[in-house]
Order: sequence, then structure tokens, then C-alpha cells
Amino acid sequence: MYEKNDIIKSVTTIIAQALRADEKKITLQSSLIKDLGAESIDFLDIVFRLEKTFKIKIPKGELFPEKLLTDARFVKDGKITEAGIEELKSKIPSANWQDFSKNPLVSNLGEVFTVGMIVDYLYEKLAVANK
Amino acid sequence: MTSVDSLKKKVALVTGGARGIGEAIVKRLASQGAKVYFTYQSSAEKAQALVRSFEKTGNVIALPCDVRKSENVESVVDQVLEAEPTLDILVNNAGIIRDGLFLALSEEDWQEVMATNLGGVIHFSKNVLRQMIMQGGGRIINISSIVGELGGVGQANYAASKAAVNALTKSLAAEYAAKNITVNAIAPGMVETEMTSAVRSAFGDKIKERIPAGSYGQPEEIAAVAAFLASEESRYITGQVITIDGGLSLLSRR
Repeated sequence: MYEKNDIIKSVTTIIAQALRADEKKITLQSSLIKDLGAESIDFLDIVFRLEKTFKIKIPKGELFPEKLLTDARFVKDGKITEAGIEELKSKIPSANWQDFSKNPLVSNLGEVFTVGMIVDYLYEKLAVANK
Repeated sequence: MTSVDSLKKKVALVTGGARGIGEAIVKRLASQGAKVYFTYQSSAEKAQALVRSFEKTGNVIALPCDVRKSENVESVVDQVLEAEPTLDILVNNAGIIRDGLFLALSEEDWQEVMATNLGGVIHFSKNVLRQMIMQGGGRIINISSIVGELGGVGQANYAASKAAVNALTKSLAAEYAAKNITVNAIAPGMVETEMTSAVRSAFGDKIKERIPAGSYGQPEEIAAVAAFLASEESRYITGQVITIDGGLSLLSRR
């Protein structure tokens, strides 16, 4: 069983390695894009490392919305559509979609993807796996 | 560049390494100190002989693989990664020809060539890139052909597969440059290998006359460039298709 603190520690190390960032500057509130400068390949990098470290399989689009942003049903005029938000909620329930839906600009999406979101995602995923 | 151990501690994987250009690349990388895994399909005896020729240093290992099958490729890459901490160099070399005029090519001629020449590159790149991203860098070298750009009579399937490899090379280069991974292709002209032996014996001097350099290329000459692209020195070269053809493509463009 993983304790939450162990998950936080491992996730912080993984993110520091993938983004070549200073571990000390990474908090649960850090936005991967805004604060830590992550780009799309970095998300893949993080997913690969999480899969390896925690010995789990993260289905495509489950932790990060890989294809959603190029889908016309989900993006219109620089905003995520209602259908898009529903899709995000169902795929990535651990993120804070309530705040995001108030102003669903694509450019605000970065604020949703925080270190804490990954930790929550893993905590749930690993709890399910251990049941 | 040719120093004996310039690729020391590097781990390489070469597809279709038992014969022709692939064999020359295996030998070249291994003699520069890399640990070289190579795949073979039908040439088991040649593969074993190649492994034996490096018995002293023990740094060449053969693995059977059908590059057309993604599950097969995945297990080969897994095998390498179970034994090695990194996989630094991937050479996608495995390739076949099924020549014939376009109207004479069967569905199977197309499928076989595309599945091997393009499918193989896709499967290996997919599995190896994952590791290269995590380890923070790597080199991918795809063996293409000048007909990928020029086209060729009787080679519609082969040319189309190699054009696809060139486009894939450039796309992957752009996608993964930020992770210190370079992806380049080598486009050989007429190289003296088994694969080209039929064409050479059928059209012999006619082909040679069209090559400005006046002679066929040697597999070792392709391997030398592959080794450079595999080295640290080539860090800033990515997404390029490097032609090695004794000038053949210059005249074909008339």
C-alpha cells in the first residue's frame, strides 16, 4: 500500500526529473504548465515515468487530455465546450473542473493540471488497484 | 570520430542486422565499443556468424524478430531493456523490395513492403522512444532510399514506403527534439548488397553509367554515416535525410 506522503514524494521527484526542475520549487499547487513550464511531450514523459514507478497502466487521455484539444466537438472559439468539460470530468475526475468551468478558456487549462491533481489521481488509482 | 571506443557504454538496436547495410552498421557500431543488439528474420545462420565474430568482446547479440508485428517488436525491445539500463541508438534498417511495374503489383506486394519498411519503423520507434524520453535522449537512424524522394520505375511500393519513412523521420524529429532525441534518415543510392544484386546483375553497366562516381556504394560507407549520426557529435543534426549515392540523384533529377 502506498501512503499519500510516499506518492507525493515520488510524484515530486518524477516531475522534477521530467521537467528538469528543482524539487524544492515543486508544491502540490504548482501548475505544470504555468509554474513548471511543461509542454505536451513532457506530459507523455510524466505518464511514462509514473507507469514505470508505480507499475500501473495509465490509459490514453485518462490523466491528461491528449487528443481533446484537436477535437472540434470539444473546442470552440478558444474555449472548451460544455461537451468538452463533461468529457474532461469523466476522464480526469481528480481535477478541479468547478473553478475551470467559470471561464473555460483553453489557455486556462494549464491551471487545472497541478502536481496535486496527479497525486490525487494516483491515490485513487492505486487504492482501486489494491482493493 | 572513428576512435575505437567512441560509442562505449552506448546500447544500440539495429533491425535487419544480419545482412547487407544492417550487418555493416552492426559491425561498425560494435567496433566503436557499443553494445549492439540486432534483429534478423530469415538469416539465422548469418546472424549467428555475426555474433560469433564478436565473441572476444561479446558485445553483439542477435534477436529474432518479425518487424511487421507490433507485439513481436514490443517483446524484443522489452528484452533489451531488461538487460540494459538504457537504449541509446535505434537503427531502423530492416527493409524489403517487391519490385514490379505499378500495374503488376499485387495487393500483397504493397502490404508486405509497407508493413516491413514503414510498419517496422513505426513499431520500433514507438517502443524505443518511450525509453529515450525517460532516459533523456537518444538517436534514431532510419535507413531510407533515394527513391523515397525521386520515385523509381518498378518501385512504386518501395518508393512510397521510403517517402513515408522520410516524412516520419521529420515529424518525429520535430516532436522529440526537446527531449534530446535526434531522428535522421540515410538515403542510399545503389549499394552493393544482396537486396540490389538482382537489379545490378540485370542492368549492370547501365546503372553504373548513370552514377557520377562511377561505382556502386559499399555497405561500410553507409555504416560510417550511421555511426556518426549515432554519436554525440551529431547532436545538432535532426530531421534530415542524408543522401549517400555517389551523385546518382543529381543526374536523376534532370
